[in-house]
Amino acid sequence: MMSKLGAWGRRLFLLVWVVFALLPAYWALSTSFKRQVDIYNGPKMIPFVDFTPTLDAWQRLWVASQSDFLPKLLNSFVFSAVSSLIAVVLGAFAAYGLARFEYRYGAYRNDDISFLIVSQRIMPPIVSVLALYVVYVQLRALDTAWGMILAFTSMNLPIAVYLLRSFFAAIPEELEQAAALDGYPAVLRLVRVVFPLAAPGLASAFMLSFFFAWNDFLFALMLTFNKAQTLPLYISSLSAQSQPEWALIAAVGMIALIPPVVVTLVLDRYMSKQVLVGGVR
Amino acid sequence: MTDKGPRSAGGAWYQHLLLAPPLVFFAAFAVFPLLFTLYVSLSVWSISGDHRFIGFGNYAELLTSPDFQTTFFNTVAFAVATVLVEYVCGMTAALMLYRSRAGQGALRLAFLLPMMFTPVVVGFIWRTMFDPSYGPVDALLRWVGLPSVPWLSERPWAFAAVVIADVWQWTPFMFLIIYAAMRALPTAPLEAAVVDGASSRQVFWDHMMPMLLPASLTAILLRTIESFKLFDVVYLLTGGGPGVGTATITLSAYFTGLRNGDLGSAAAMTFLLLVVVLVVTTVLLKVAARIGRTKPRRRVVELPQTSPSEGVPA
Repeated sequence: MMSKLGAWGRRLFLLVWVVFALLPAYWALSTSFKRQVDIYNGPKMIPFVDFTPTLDAWQRLWVASQSDFLPKLLNSFVFSAVSSLIAVVLGAFAAYGLARFEYRYGAYRNDDISFLIVSQRIMPPIVSVLALYVVYVQLRALDTAWGMILAFTSMNLPIAVYLLRSFFAAIPEELEQAAALDGYPAVLRLVRVVFPLAAPGLASAFMLSFFFAWNDFLFALMLTFNKAQTLPLYISSLSAQSQPEWALIAAVGMIALIPPVVVTLVLDRYMSKQVLVGGVR
Repeated sequence: MTDKGPRSAGGAWYQHLLLAPPLVFFAAFAVFPLLFTLYVSLSVWSISGDHRFIGFGNYAELLTSPDFQTTFFNTVAFAVATVLVEYVCGMTAALMLYRSRAGQGALRLAFLLPMMFTPVVVGFIWRTMFDPSYGPVDALLRWVGLPSVPWLSERPWAFAAVVIADVWQWTPFMFLIIYAAMRALPTAPLEAAVVDGASSRQVFWDHMMPMLLPASLTAILLRTIESFKLFDVVYLLTGGGPGVGTATITLSAYFTGLRNGDLGSAAAMTFLLLVVVLVVTTVLLKVAARIGRTKPRRRVVELPQTSPSEGVPA
């Protein structure tokens, strides 16, 4: 029967796709346990059969004299976390305003303002980053933590505003009015009543922002050169050698994978249903 | 939202304060850089700071440069190829998973995994995968009996390698959105169609596809915008080579501006890129708006509000 054939075709497709998705990931993981000889005599796929796994790369990462890994990891983490926090706090206030009040700046109404803000993400970052480079040179912001945090915040603020607006719009205004009757002043109403109700939205916006900042390469490449470098820069500098130490790169790559995996697992529920689909209507 | 009238009348100062930070950031990190880049693009501007206004000289030079023409073509071709392949693969994967009863949770997470890798790491993975001497791709080809392929050193192959790496990483994004939309579809009309004797192909094309159009457009729009920014993977995978065979505008602008110190020419490149992105985005948004307006007859379901739980087999 046709449907039986269809069922086998479906299983075959799923199998092929799952192999295509997982094989490169496995390749990266296994590479991190290989010695340099095994990598360059490759391809070796199966540990203990093809090659003898070693923890060498994983151990060397943490030895300060042998790698710059820790400072870059710290940079990546701090820049991503701080910029996401700023973006979510500032974004939450703006999103609340756009959800609750009616604005009119010239011809611009609420929808136009929020589209204007998010339109920044349509512009390829290379357009602004060239100008930022020139400005950062003047401001002595090149290769500084605050320069990177500002740049990442500017990258994430539009998304935070855009996502959170729909979350705040979904919170019934009656709850706020009840809090007002109980004598809460406006700011406390926001902090005590509205923000807790929008907690899933705030968390999603934070994690999504973190994800984007964590993965950024272009800003870091243009605006840092030494002490403010992030993990992606570290990876690219390692791979620029003539015989790159792929095991080391792979190990860093696996560690860099952790935050996005956590983000995805936590967001999975919201993301697949509301945040992305609802936010980009 | 019912009492918007009275509250909008005055517009207390703190209401405007709420919007101030994003608008200030927008001015400082979007509007100002945009205007500044425009000015730089009209000048001879060296990275050491010397500059002189020259008008459209940089643009004229770029438009006649064969290297830039290749780069421009690459950028557009990458966008078209990756978005197309990712949409078809993402849709197929979503549909196959939607129709299978077992393993939805585990398979879905496996499908999403590539998206979680840092793009630079994706570049590293595929550079070693495609390596002619120690990469598994060529080993696989040899094992099947096919000739090995100069993946990273010859034009059409290097181009394909970049597309494959991008497809590997970003098909999951298409899949994520389309699969979520699929699970939010009302099951009743689909079941009714099956009862009426529609084949699974008819159910898909006549009933599911029209309802998936808004989500499809969203996914395509977002991926198209992102695909024009393609940089990290190319930087690591081919470095834009051979020659400028796989260079994108972002990559060329980086090399021209920061490595060769010719900021004026680099700025002009990015402006041409921006024009392309704006044209494409506007067209896609117009299409999306038109489809949004003509939807009522098809009983299209608004995605965000629908509870997907009923569409998920336990």
